[in-house]
Amino acid sequence: MISSLEKKVYITNSSSICCAGSNNEELFKNICSSKSGIKQIENYFQGHSPSVGLIESENDFYENLELQFSEILETSNLNDFENTLLIIGSSVGGMNHTEKIFLKNKEYQNIDPKLHNINAISHIINKKFKFEDSISFSTACTSSANAIGYGYEVLSKGFYENVLVVGIDQISQTTVGGFLSLGVLSSNSCKPFDISREGMNVAEGIVSTLLQTTATKNSVEVCGVGYSSDAHHMTHPHPDGIGAQKSMQNALKSAQINSSDIQYINAHGTGTTANDNAEAKAIEKLFGQDVYVSSTKSITGHTLGAAGSLEAVISSMVILNQTIPTSTNLKIAENENVLFSRENKKMNIKYVMSNSFAFGGNNCSLIFGRV
Amino acid sequence: MGQNKKLNLEILDWSFVYDKNQIEELNTKELVPKMVTRRRLTRAAKIAIYLASQVNYSNERIIFGSSFGELLATDTILNSISDKEPISPTHFQNSVYNTAISYLSILSGNDNEIMTISSGDDTSKNIFKSGVIKAIDGDELLLMGIETLNIPSIREVNKCIDYLECGIAVRVKITDEKANLQLDTTNNLKIPNSLVELYNVAKSCENGRKNIVEVAI
Repeated sequence: MISSLEKKVYITNSSSICCAGSNNEELFKNICSSKSGIKQIENYFQGHSPSVGLIESENDFYENLELQFSEILETSNLNDFENTLLIIGSSVGGMNHTEKIFLKNKEYQNIDPKLHNINAISHIINKKFKFEDSISFSTACTSSANAIGYGYEVLSKGFYENVLVVGIDQISQTTVGGFLSLGVLSSNSCKPFDISREGMNVAEGIVSTLLQTTATKNSVEVCGVGYSSDAHHMTHPHPDGIGAQKSMQNALKSAQINSSDIQYINAHGTGTTANDNAEAKAIEKLFGQDVYVSSTKSITGHTLGAAGSLEAVISSMVILNQTIPTSTNLKIAENENVLFSRENKKMNIKYVMSNSFAFGGNNCSLIFGRV
Repeated sequence: MGQNKKLNLEILDWSFVYDKNQIEELNTKELVPKMVTRRRLTRAAKIAIYLASQVNYSNERIIFGSSFGELLATDTILNSISDKEPISPTHFQNSVYNTAISYLSILSGNDNEIMTISSGDDTSKNIFKSGVIKAIDGDELLLMGIETLNIPSIREVNKCIDYLECGIAVRVKITDEKANLQLDTTNNLKIPNSLVELYNVAKSCENGRKNIVEVAI
């Protein structure tokens, strides 16, 4: 339920780094040329060798975040962040830090609680940059999609002037081992929506997105957000995609457009049997074969809490380049009633939807539009 | 601009529970009759289900918050990794910060928006802020904060919290009426700082009058 909205909201600036690129342009180029950043890591966890998406950078993980902030200040109309709300979306926060210390001697006493939890990201950022206020969301793999949704709400309702959304998750033994325990990790680059898909790839990512109420050059509009809950199971989506369908319907309602207005859906498409089956059914019911669909996780991996932000950037690049990317690794679609993109397609693109779904049946769909 | 807006929430119902170690009377057997489901619930999920039963919850949108999330599941996973044992899938699925409120949504069939905030010591302040921003839409919301810190090694890091299990829920709606409650960070009881504003508001509510809290954005 999103109403009482007063102002338009735009992504005016963004910066990303993940296994598939160290900036937005490189990322989109690699997506369109099917160049995946996912690599198999020998004996990464208890003798297992999963394929994961690691950031390759000379900088420390948080130095990359700091560089993104500096880049945004250099290329936006802001001199500082003192009139900006910081919104973090992360599923693991400082878990990597905790693991490193705890696994040395199985003790917690050297762990700073402020660097352990989700708010660790905000704590680290606030040492270097001053913000008007901050808030952190943690809803597993929808964390930064929900963060963008909240940014859209507070700006359109007139509560803040600027919002900086950070979607961020660092790979950890907990997440890799945890998804291994669920039996959903692939040892190859994932094949979303393919009949022979083997599972997902855990990955890491850092994405900063500046939201403002006045468009600048190369802005993309955030047109609407839809939230829902499956109310079904902690890890399995509703098999008929009912929750996914509701979040997409709510997003269309929020954006005040029809399903036929959407040209492309950047699907959640993790490559797991359960997600892709349910999401495809939901898309089929709402859109039929009238909209192009692809998942870009075969290139980026699943960046968990950062995925919503990363895919918001990809959706923005689709609009700015007027190009729908191909579905890398998709040979035979399990659901033939969905129009999966099979090549990069230049076309007139006005609206793009981005889906994010998470543990607990938490769903968020975002709609972006050409300015 | 952000600090200039003040809006009021009417507290329609409220409930809170806390214990130095473990809250005993959560009525879980009655609230969750199926043992197979009950056995999977985390401590925070049991507290969430209990609190919801105390505030006339009827599948409203929920803003949930916790600074440290599912600490016991996280601790169990870390020990498994350290001991080179496989991670339990149940512990992994129960380790995300939205676990407690997701179990509530599953058990109550709530398919609405359910948000989880984790803002350290500012968690309950941000629950109120996001709650009032969303309540502008006109519906009633359930705001809830829970911490379950009672893990075996908690004494290694905890120096200041006396009450390791705490949960507070308030059901709210937006109002134009004058506030008689303020967000207050006084923490005489030594509960987790992340829950202080929620606890102080719930504790100050009185039957027989309208309880209205002012929230500054």
